[in-house]
Amino acid sequence: MGAPPPLDVNQEVAAEESEAELMRQVAAGEIGGLETLYDRHHAMAYALALRITTEPGLAEDVVQDSFLGLWRNAGRYAEAKGSVRGWLLAIVRHRAIDTIRRQKKGVTLDDDTSDIVPAALTLPDIWPEVAGRLDAEEIRVALEGLPSAQREAIEFAYFDGLTQREIATRTGAPLGTVKSRMRLGLVALRRELLGVTDVIDARRST
Amino acid sequence: MTIRCDRVRELAPGFVLGALDAADMAAVHQHLIGCRDPHPELRELGGVLPYLATSLEPVEPPARLRAAVIAAAQADLAAHPRSAEVAGSRVATIRRTIPAPESGAVEAEAAEQVNGAMVVSLTSARRSRRRRALAWTTRVAAAAAVVAVVAYGFGVIHEPGAGPSAGPSFDYKGQGTVYAGLTPQASSHAAGLAVLKPSGHLYVYVNGLAPTTGDQVYMVWVTAAKDTILAGYFTVNAQGDGSIQMDNVPRAASLWVQVCIEPNEHVTQPTGPTVASGTIFT
Repeated sequence: MGAPPPLDVNQEVAAEESEAELMRQVAAGEIGGLETLYDRHHAMAYALALRITTEPGLAEDVVQDSFLGLWRNAGRYAEAKGSVRGWLLAIVRHRAIDTIRRQKKGVTLDDDTSDIVPAALTLPDIWPEVAGRLDAEEIRVALEGLPSAQREAIEFAYFDGLTQREIATRTGAPLGTVKSRMRLGLVALRRELLGVTDVIDARRST
Repeated sequence: MTIRCDRVRELAPGFVLGALDAADMAAVHQHLIGCRDPHPELRELGGVLPYLATSLEPVEPPARLRAAVIAAAQADLAAHPRSAEVAGSRVATIRRTIPAPESGAVEAEAAEQVNGAMVVSLTSARRSRRRRALAWTTRVAAAAAVVAVVAYGFGVIHEPGAGPSAGPSFDYKGQGTVYAGLTPQASSHAAGLAVLKPSGHLYVYVNGLAPTTGDQVYMVWVTAAKDTILAGYFTVNAQGDGSIQMDNVPRAASLWVQVCIEPNEHVTQPTGPTVASGTIFT
């Protein structure tokens, strides 16, 4: 068995273009486009839903509702700048967290329960810039390279849907400390994954 | 609450993770609507999020989920056909004219005439009793479902303006409308869509159903809080599709919708196996 073929960047770009075309098909009501997108992304969508909800039945509901949300809102995607994958995973996360929050008594829900993903989750992602360059293992290594308190703060928020205040309560850390850990962790991850420093770093110290 | 750009930058990490308190989330949203600053920090920090998901190992869901997703999309398409402008970008399609139901007073029979595969196949003796469960608007929706699903099966585009969309079909993409996909249960291949309108009307579409025989019916049960009530019932022919409408749905934080096959229409609580179910969060 020989070495794997070198990454063809053009191929990655072509794949992204193909996804954009699939989204146009979905927006036009073509079931085939949805089938292809499902076949490409269902395992990651389900993994994320399962990680957040921890229940297979709920995770299935979340994935189905998420693809349905993608199906019904594909026309809006055309105006976005992010990848289909990032967009879909944002929908999955939003619905999964919405589901678990609704299961908690006394929790006030965000007002957004519609098909529309919150703005914070539809921000253009930079997935196309690095698709193919990083695999899951590399990303896990980057996460594990963070100080544990920073990683914990990010994972509590991302995978458990906890607010900063809830994280402070759970960990016993002051709220300000939780906010700081979250910021430092995200900046460090960005630096580690993309090898960039940017405006965030400069502003952090001011 | 009005906040300034500096405050948005301060809140950015919590905002992109959705981890702010509700008031702060709303304040940032409000600020961004009118702010000229592109706030690059949001893009930069938010760009990390897809990696977090990708750190997980992919997990293969049950195979039935794919069928459920596609069935729900088909049901959605049936009830709300896409516009001509959007459909215009489609590629390599076969077109066929589909007879349109009469606009206005659409009868169930009109749907039966569409292709002979009526969703709710009723005998004359039963029809009057079933009318309580199947209002005329349901029949319109049923006709829409049949047209679109069957059309899809033949690779045929729904002709905008030539089918149910020209009639009094309902629009459930409006403000306050919520829905849930119905996922196959046990060994069933049935799946569909449950849609709750702000008016309190519930619409349920299911396909992939096994045909009913004898006195068998499919019953749609709705559980609100701890009470389970009958939403409606229908029989199914070889086409495998069914739909109901329920008026005056009880208010609750969530509605569990389950479709069961029952031995007859006289049962008063779910007894048969559940073939599809889902939860609408209101």
